[in-house]
Amino acid sequence: MALPLFYSWRNLLVRRLSTSLTLLLITVIVVVLAVLLSFAAGIRQTLKNSGHRDRVIVLKPGSTAESTSVLFPEETNLLVQTPGIRFDPSGQPLISIELCIQTSLPRLGYQDSFANVAVRGVDPVAFAIRPEIQIVEGRLFDSGALEVIVGEAASKRFGNLKIDGEISLGRLGNRLYKVVGIFRANNSSFESEIWAPRSMITTAYSGHYTSSATIQCIDESQAQTAINYIKGPSVKLQAQKETDYYQELARTTRQLVVLSVILIAIMGLGAVFAMANTMYAAVDHRRREFAMLRTLGFSRIAIQLTIFIESLLTCLVSCIIGLLIGSAFIAMNIEQDFISDVSFSSLTYQLRMTPTIMISCLILACGVGIAGALAPAVRASRIPILEALRKA
Amino acid sequence: MFIGELQRYVTRLQNPNNVSFLIQKVCPMSLANISVHQVVKNYHKDRIEIPVLNGLDLTIPAGQFSVLMGPSGSGKSTLLHLIGGLDRPTSGTIQVGDFNLDRMSDSELTRWRSRHVGFIFQMYHLIPVLTAAENVELPLLLFSMSSHERKQRVATALQVVGLTDRMDHRPNQLSGGQEQRVAIARAIVTDPDVILADEPTGDLDAKTSEEILNLLNILNKEFGKTILLVTHDPRAAAHGQRILHLDKGILSQEKEAVCVT
Ligand SMILES: Nc1ncnc2c1ncn2[C@@H]1O[C@H](COP(=O)(O)OP(=O)(O)OP(=O)(O)O)[C@@H](O)[C@H]1O
Ligand SMILES: [Mg+2]
Repeated sequence: MALPLFYSWRNLLVRRLSTSLTLLLITVIVVVLAVLLSFAAGIRQTLKNSGHRDRVIVLKPGSTAESTSVLFPEETNLLVQTPGIRFDPSGQPLISIELCIQTSLPRLGYQDSFANVAVRGVDPVAFAIRPEIQIVEGRLFDSGALEVIVGEAASKRFGNLKIDGEISLGRLGNRLYKVVGIFRANNSSFESEIWAPRSMITTAYSGHYTSSATIQCIDESQAQTAINYIKGPSVKLQAQKETDYYQELARTTRQLVVLSVILIAIMGLGAVFAMANTMYAAVDHRRREFAMLRTLGFSRIAIQLTIFIESLLTCLVSCIIGLLIGSAFIAMNIEQDFISDVSFSSLTYQLRMTPTIMISCLILACGVGIAGALAPAVRASRIPILEALRKA
Repeated sequence: MFIGELQRYVTRLQNPNNVSFLIQKVCPMSLANISVHQVVKNYHKDRIEIPVLNGLDLTIPAGQFSVLMGPSGSGKSTLLHLIGGLDRPTSGTIQVGDFNLDRMSDSELTRWRSRHVGFIFQMYHLIPVLTAAENVELPLLLFSMSSHERKQRVATALQVVGLTDRMDHRPNQLSGGQEQRVAIARAIVTDPDVILADEPTGDLDAKTSEEILNLLNILNKEFGKTILLVTHDPRAAAHGQRILHLDKGILSQEKEAVCVT
């Protein structure tokens, strides 16, 4: 019933130039879509790995991130009373009061390029709350020393963040801290940070205030109880589950996805018109051919089908090439900085090519193919047979 | 059935001692195969009606080689297209074999064409991206048939037109005469009852024309195909058993059918 596939394929090869141009355009779109989506997927993955449902993060009301939150000792002291809190074997409540500041460091592999890194001042209890933190090289810092440990991702992205490297911190930048360990944190955003003893950071920067408190609750439902208490009249601070907090941060990526969708939609529309133009030219060029096929007994549908197949073949090839280029690009840029506009510090994430991304690209390419071939296919099937045969 | 017949023919061709079959005439049953009754065809151009055929009657018995002549614009092609189901008459009826064409829907007509008519045009109309063999195979794709049988039929059809050695050539690698022979192979590969040829030698030199016309003769005499040939060339017309003249919508007959029983 249908015409053979090689018939469509050879026709594509015959009009090499117009096929290549359309192919190129769709390939570019597929690459852009693949990279943008893998970018969003990478950030989402990092933020998804960050945060637990039974941990509550406490901030100053009105601030959306640790970097803009300021807590005073009189406020954090009230948190010890929080219901639902978990205690360690020695009876200490698992509350980690932390100070988060930003510092600018030179990026590795770039000349004179600096980026913000988050420096987190923590007490030993921070590690009790976050068992995912694991030293993979060197050792933990000494609480009373000018020492830091560095997340693996940060260590790869910035200069001087190797073991025995030295960085200057403090309001005047006049204190030298030594890197004594590298840590991993289950691919979470902590891996993009530098951790130091809290006392050594508070004295260097703020004197007495801190940024946030993280509370380990007994379980998820107790976390809700804790949140209600902290938000209530006795403490009057902002509290949310860690997972919710990171989800908020991930909103930036959602905006990015929306933006890319708009961009891709515009480009896709262009590709649809380009494809329609190419196919119209092909149909007009082959009027006699289609008329002869109809004379031989091929149906209108068979003619429409070949037009769709020619268009879809182009798009399929574009999609494959686009995904290959996209994957190569992703493989080259294994880790990237992303300056989150919420936390103002760079977050290292991995571009990820997922099956969902591949399917999205395929759907986009096929959608362009079908939409672009629609009108030309109808035109091809409606060619008046005799008129087309008569014209030489 | 058709394959066997063709192959028997081909083997006989290859044996020069036995040419007697060329004289044997397949004389068909007197059953009227094509019957055109009171056909009117008008074209419309800018609301003006252009009458082309005005109540035309014609009967062509199955197995006859008829030739249709007449001045340019007299409606020869129009008549051919009506008989081949490529167009519909303004009024009147056309019956081909058991099929009443004006009772059929467009898609039925399309399907009918693929099974019962072979068209040969002046411009060959081969598909440029397909080889000779692929062009010939094309109409067979509309039949449910194994690929093996298709290939066999294609090979036989190409053998009949004498182009076996060119089967892998594209149309642009063939001469006009060869292209027309491929078109003939394409027209006969489905074993149609009727072959409609519209000036098939119009673009060819005298010698090549003669080859093509001989081929049509063989198809008529050996395989009993009903052929309607439109031509301007009196020498080509001489091949027919019956010559019809169309002028100003009137059909007249010049040469009666010679049918040796
Ligand atoms: N689609 C059409 N619209 C309008 N007029 C048409 C159309 N097709 C054919 N005609 C007219 O019908 C008449 C017969 O055309 P036809 O092609 O049948 O002539 P013909 O006998 O085959 O001529 P030729 O020998 O030149 O091929 C011509 O006057 C032609 O202009
Ligand atoms: Mg004509």
